[in-house]
Amino acid sequence: MSQPLIELHDLVFAWPGQPPLLDIAHFRLETGEALFLKGPSGSGKTTLLGLLGGVNRPDQGSVRLLGQELGELSQGARDRFRVDHTGYIFQQFNLLPFLSVRENVELPCRFSRSRAERAVQRHGSIDQAASQLLAHLGLSDPALQARRADSLSIGQQQRVAAARALIGQPELVIADEPTSALDADTREAFIRLLFDECRGAGSSLLFVSHDQSLAPLFDRHLSLAELNRAASPTPPQEA
Amino acid sequence: MYLLRLALASLANRRFTAFLTAFAIALSVCLLLAVERVRTEARASFASTISGTDLIVGARSGSVNLLLYSVFRIGNATNNIRWDSYTHYAKDPRVKWAIPMSLGDSHRGYRVMGTTSDYFAHYQYGRRQHLQLAQGRAFADDPFEVVLGAEVAEALHYRLGEKLVLAHGVAAISLVKHDDKPFTVVGVLARTGTPVDRTLHISLGGMEAIHIDWHNGMPARGAGRISADQARSMDLQPSAITAFMLGLNSKIATFSLQREINEFSNEPLLAILPGVALQELWSLMGTAEQALFVVSLFVVLTGLIGMLTAILTSLNERRREMAILRSVGARPWHIAGLLVLEALALAVSGIVAGIGLLYVGIAVAQGYVQANYGLYLPLAWPSAHEWSLLAIILGAALLMGSVPAWRAYRQSLADGLSIHL
Repeated sequence: MSQPLIELHDLVFAWPGQPPLLDIAHFRLETGEALFLKGPSGSGKTTLLGLLGGVNRPDQGSVRLLGQELGELSQGARDRFRVDHTGYIFQQFNLLPFLSVRENVELPCRFSRSRAERAVQRHGSIDQAASQLLAHLGLSDPALQARRADSLSIGQQQRVAAARALIGQPELVIADEPTSALDADTREAFIRLLFDECRGAGSSLLFVSHDQSLAPLFDRHLSLAELNRAASPTPPQEA
Repeated sequence: MYLLRLALASLANRRFTAFLTAFAIALSVCLLLAVERVRTEARASFASTISGTDLIVGARSGSVNLLLYSVFRIGNATNNIRWDSYTHYAKDPRVKWAIPMSLGDSHRGYRVMGTTSDYFAHYQYGRRQHLQLAQGRAFADDPFEVVLGAEVAEALHYRLGEKLVLAHGVAAISLVKHDDKPFTVVGVLARTGTPVDRTLHISLGGMEAIHIDWHNGMPARGAGRISADQARSMDLQPSAITAFMLGLNSKIATFSLQREINEFSNEPLLAILPGVALQELWSLMGTAEQALFVVSLFVVLTGLIGMLTAILTSLNERRREMAILRSVGARPWHIAGLLVLEALALAVSGIVAGIGLLYVGIAVAQGYVQANYGLYLPLAWPSAHEWSLLAIILGAALLMGSVPAWRAYRQSLADGLSIHL
């Protein structure tokens, strides 16, 4: 395999005045890989995602994304680097309620020139990129695309969020519990759609969830508790 | 540009609060501009009440009092002055023209002034404008002719040739009327925007004639009465007047003549320079005017603080919005910019609506204010001074908008991408 997409080395992180929350010796995510990272709430997964997004900085060790050491970049450069290369899907209420579905999908292209350029390269225009992604995710109705984002059902909203994460083909899609608000049937269908689209766009997928039942769908699965040497004194597994 | 679009969309999402906030700003801006406009116009119309007159002379009292009754038709003279005092100075070689004035009667709340035709020739107001007749002519030899100020004619619907009766004294409801000697309207003056508009002008002879059979402030009864026709054939030379105005050949003589009049040995007189007295009077009202301005400034400040409160309270519930924006690549300064733009949008729409309100208000109230207060409010484009006030308001809004912007900046740095609260 070529160079890893994400590489963590001897990473230690603690919130000010608290014992270390994360202590990860080594972690890799390969290009094109779909990884399931199991982490119950409170296990430090949001902090880990913050580190990967360059929002938080590690106390020790390195965070590399596409070979770039994030710690070497300035705050502004990290922000730019994040949006250029990462698409995010959150638990729920991912969308700006006052924008239309279509405008929500196009948001990353407004803030990242390289995402906009890649969208134009692949689909001809940002507009078409949004249309095609939405169509692939089963939201092809133009009337629906023009509606306010908060008028959609939760399931539809998560698909819009997926389209937004994928527009402009970022190398990495980070999904943080994207299915927790969905019921069991739609959950699996959503993940399959996400796989297809990530594969189509050539993006790696880092899927973080506490729901072990989804793990078999992925190429590889890991538990943050195993990864993290600073695991909490009361292991969440026993809870 | 896209940030502005986002800011507006976000505001539209909270349109009710946004509308109220902008409306509060609009009202305060409207109030400030209205006060400012009334202030400017009041001052301008005040200063242009009289011009070209070098000295006003009356019985000895205070300069403001003399100015008030001789020019503004407010209050009363403490005493009359003798006719020969007037002729003494009217004939002085330094004097170019002299206008005698005799006050004390009224007609339905409007003051009556007895004077001579010199008044129409020499009295000036505004930028040295002379009085103009809109209709008819000045009063002539017949003592029972009256020339109306524009407002008197308009408010009381008098036409040329109509007859009217003057009342004794200046109370709004006079019990004693000079109804045996009616006056005929022979002329109406063009509007001046000064107290002249609210005055009825008759000749000194007419003033003398209506009082010719009066003794000790009471009309004569029965055989003592003198009819209008009888009065016409009598000598109507007055023995006393209320005040007179002087125009001099040379301004240089003003102060020496003023001193001379003030030291006149035959009768205690007071001569004032109208400009100085106007200043003195305005400085009395200036305090109230300043207070009004300060109050309206504070109202604007209140409006802006309302905006600050509205934005600050919205910040907490919008943490998710900020985090989403951060996740799609907005940098903290984008978030700050968004909030500044929001404040600007609220302030600009408030200011625009405020100006709109002001114009609607002026358009509606213009006629009423003109008729009742003699104040002409122009429906004009904002003046340079008003623009600068608006710019200051906008600057203040920007300054206030930077408070929530700074908080959101800090907040979005701390929250990062975490949407869970």
